[in-house]
Amino acid sequence: MATISELRTNPSSFSPKRSKGQIIVDWLTTTDHKKIGYLYLITSFIYFMIAGVMALVIRAQLALPGLEVVASKEQYNQLFTMHGTIMLLMFATPLFAGFANVLMPVQIGAPDVAFPRLNAIAYWFFSFGSLIAVSGFFTPQGAASFGWFAYAPLSNTTFSPGIGGDLWVFGLALSGFGTILGGVNFITTIITMRAPGMTMWRMPIFTWNTLVTSILVIMAFPPLAAALFALGADRTLGAHIFDPANGGAMLWQHLFWFFGHPEVYIIALPFFGIVSEIFPVFSRKPIFGYKTLVYATISIAALSMTVWAHHMYVTGQVLLPFFAFTTMLIAVPTGVKIFNWIGTMWKGSITYETPMLWSLGFLVSFVFGGLTGVILASPALTFHLSDSYFVVAHFHYVVFGTVVFAMFAGFYFWWPKFTGKMLNERLGKVHFWLLFIGFHATFLVQHWLGVIGMPRRYATYLPEDGFTEMNLISTAGSAILALSMIPFLFNVWVTYRKGVKTELMDPWGYGRSLEWATDSPFPRHNFHSIPRIRSESPAFDLNHPEYASPEAKASYAKEGRI
Amino acid sequence: MSKNLRRATTIAALSALTLVLSGCSPELQRGFLPDSAGVTNHTDRIIGLWTTSWIVLLGVGALSWALMAWALIVYRRRKGETGMPQQLRYNMPIETLFTVIPLILVLGFFAFTTRDTTAIEAKTENPDVHIEVIAKQWSWDFNYVDENVFESGIQAQFTGTEENIMETLPTLYLPVGKTVQIDLTARDVIHSFWVVEFLYKKDMFPGMTNQMFFTPLKEGTYVGKCAELCGEYHSMMLFNVKVVSEQEYQSQMAALAAKGNVGLLSTEYDRNQNLPGGDPSIRN
Repeated sequence: MATISELRTNPSSFSPKRSKGQIIVDWLTTTDHKKIGYLYLITSFIYFMIAGVMALVIRAQLALPGLEVVASKEQYNQLFTMHGTIMLLMFATPLFAGFANVLMPVQIGAPDVAFPRLNAIAYWFFSFGSLIAVSGFFTPQGAASFGWFAYAPLSNTTFSPGIGGDLWVFGLALSGFGTILGGVNFITTIITMRAPGMTMWRMPIFTWNTLVTSILVIMAFPPLAAALFALGADRTLGAHIFDPANGGAMLWQHLFWFFGHPEVYIIALPFFGIVSEIFPVFSRKPIFGYKTLVYATISIAALSMTVWAHHMYVTGQVLLPFFAFTTMLIAVPTGVKIFNWIGTMWKGSITYETPMLWSLGFLVSFVFGGLTGVILASPALTFHLSDSYFVVAHFHYVVFGTVVFAMFAGFYFWWPKFTGKMLNERLGKVHFWLLFIGFHATFLVQHWLGVIGMPRRYATYLPEDGFTEMNLISTAGSAILALSMIPFLFNVWVTYRKGVKTELMDPWGYGRSLEWATDSPFPRHNFHSIPRIRSESPAFDLNHPEYASPEAKASYAKEGRI
Repeated sequence: MSKNLRRATTIAALSALTLVLSGCSPELQRGFLPDSAGVTNHTDRIIGLWTTSWIVLLGVGALSWALMAWALIVYRRRKGETGMPQQLRYNMPIETLFTVIPLILVLGFFAFTTRDTTAIEAKTENPDVHIEVIAKQWSWDFNYVDENVFESGIQAQFTGTEENIMETLPTLYLPVGKTVQIDLTARDVIHSFWVVEFLYKKDMFPGMTNQMFFTPLKEGTYVGKCAELCGEYHSMMLFNVKVVSEQEYQSQMAALAAKGNVGLLSTEYDRNQNLPGGDPSIRN
C-alpha cells in the first residue's frame, strides 16, 4: 500500500495557491463532511475555552468567603448559567457532531454523509443559535441568569426581565434544530452508506455509539425545542404555559429533564466510543466483548430515557422507587463497559502514547464519577446531597472526565488523520499530567464540600460555614487546570509550524478501523480504494494478516495470501 | 486456597475493617457527614445507609482500579518486545459474570434504599407540632400554626466583613422530642428548605404545598439554607433551626406573641398574583 500512496499525491497540492478570500469562501460554503466536522471541532473548542474562563472567575469568586471578584451576585448567576449552557450545548454536544462528522463516514467507508447540505445548515444553525444565546452578555441587563435548567417561574419575565433570557431561549431553540438535523443525517448515513462488507456487526464502536447517540438526539431534542418555544411564548407573548397556578413549574421540570438526562448520555456515549477505539490500538488486541459493548450502549440509551425524574427527587412530586430503580440499573451496562475496557487491556501489550494516557485518565476518573452516581440514585441519600457541591463534583467527574479527557485522547489520536502531522508526544504528556492533577485537585474536594453542606450556585458563603480551606484547594486546582491549556495550544502551534508530515496511513502502527487504511490527511473523498472488510478491524487485518480476525484469515487463505 | 483458609481470611479482613472503622475519627465513621447522629429520628438511618453504601462502592471501585493497575503494569510492552498478544475477542462466562454480579449489588442497594426512603417520607398522623414555612425572595416566613404566632425573616446582611452573621439570621424553633409536620410553600419562585444536620431537604413551590415529617431528638442550633436557585441573593437566603426544650419553646412563642406577631402570614403577600409575564408591552 505504501508504494501506491507515494505515487498518488494529494490532489489538493496540484491546485494553484489560493487567496485568503478564496479559502474563507471555501470554508463558509463547504459541504464536505470533514471540513464541517473541523468547523464543529474548532467552534466547540473555542466555546470550551470561553466557558473555561468563566469557570475560573467562578472559582476566584469562591476562593474565600465574602469576596467580590464579580461586581454583583446577579453577574455571578449569569456566569454559572452561561458556563453550564455553553459547556453542555455549545461545547460537548457540537464536539460530538465534530468527531462524528469527520470520522464516522470514513469509518464506514463512505465518501461523505447522506445529506451534505443539510449537514452544512445544521452547523450554521448551531453556530448562529449559540452566538444569539451568548450575545446576552452584550445587552444592558446581561446574559440569562436563571441557571442552565431555567426553572419556571424564575425564568419568566417577572423574575428575569432582561432581554438576555429571551436571547438564551431562542438561541438554544435554533441551535437545537441544528443538533436534530445532525442526528437525522448521521442515522441516515450509517443505515444507507456503509461500504460493501461493512455489516452492522462490523462497524467500529465509535460509529455504533454515533448511531445510538443520534437516535437519542432525535428523541430528546424535540421536547426541548417544544419547551423552549413554550417558554418563549410565556416571555414574549404573555402566555401562561409555565404558570405555577396551573402546575407549570413542575411541567417545565419534566419537559426539561426529559431532554436533560438523555443529553448527559448524548455527550457521554460518543466519547465512550472514542476511548473504545483507542484502548485496542495501544493494547494491540481487539476490543474485548464487542457485542456486549454494543448491547451495553443500547441499554444505557434505552434506560436514559426513563430516568429523568431523578433530578427531581426533592420536589416531592415524583414516583421515587421507579426512578431510583431505573437509575440504579444504568450502573450495570456502564459497569459492563468499564470491565470490557479493562478486558481489552488484559493480557495485551500496552504502550503509553498520549492517546492511551488520556483514555486511561478518563477510565480512572470516570469510575469514581460512576460510584457517586450510584449514591445519587438513592433518594434517601439524595435528600441531603441534592443541589449541593456533591452533585457538582459528581457531574464534573462524569462529564469532564468523559468529554474532556476523551476529546484530548481523540485529538492526539486522530491529529495525523486531520492534518497529516503528529502532535508532539512530550508536550502531550506534560499537558496530560497538568490537566489530570488540576482536574482532581479542583473537583475531588467538592464532594466533601457538598456533604458538609455547601449548596451549588451560591455566590459566596460565611466564614463560619467551614468551607474556606476546601474552596481554596479547589480554586488552586482550577488554576493548574487552566495552565494545562498552554502546552496544548503551544503543541498545536509548534506542530503546525514545524511538525513533520507523516507519510503513513497508520502512524500508530496498530490502527484497526478504516480511517487507518487511507491517506493522512484524508483525501477529498476519503478513499482511493477500500480494503476488504471482513471484521470490525479491516485496517488491522490488512496490515497484520498473520494476526487477522478469523473471518479475514479465511478470506486471505482462499486467495493463498497466507 | 482451602475453604477454611479462605473463610479465615474473610473473617480477618472484615474484623480488620471493623477495627479500622471503630478506631478512626468520628468524621470518617459517619462518612464525613455533618455531626448529625441522633439529631432527628431519620438521621441515624441515613448515616447507616450512607456509610454501608460507600464501603461496598469503594470496594467495587478499588477492585476496578486494582485491575487497571495490574493490567497497566503487568501487561506493558517490554523493551524489544515484538509480535502481538493473543487476539482474544470475547469470553462469555466472564462477561456474564460482570453483568450479573453488579445486577445483584444494585438490587440489594435498591431494597435498602426503598426501605429507608419509605421510612423518611412516611406521614405522621396528628403531629405534636404543626409549622408552615413560606419561602420568598430571599428569606423565610415561619408560621407556628398551633400557637397562632409567626416570624417574618429578612435575608442575611453579609458583604464580607461582618462577624457573627449566624446570630442575626431568622430562626425556626422546634421543641425536642415532639413529632413535627412542616408545610412548605413559596411566594414567588421555587426554593428548597434544607436543614444541613437533618440530612434532608424539600423543594418549595409557589401554588403548591409540600410536607415533611420528623422528630428532632437533640437540642442544638442547626444550619439552614435555601438549596434551589431563586435569584440574585440565593446565597443570602439562610436561617437557623434551634431545637430547644419544651419550656424554652413556649417562652419563645410567648415572646413572638408579645412582639405582636400574632396570627399567621398567608398567601396575600405572594408575588405570583398575575404570573407570568403579564402585559409584555409594559416590561422594563
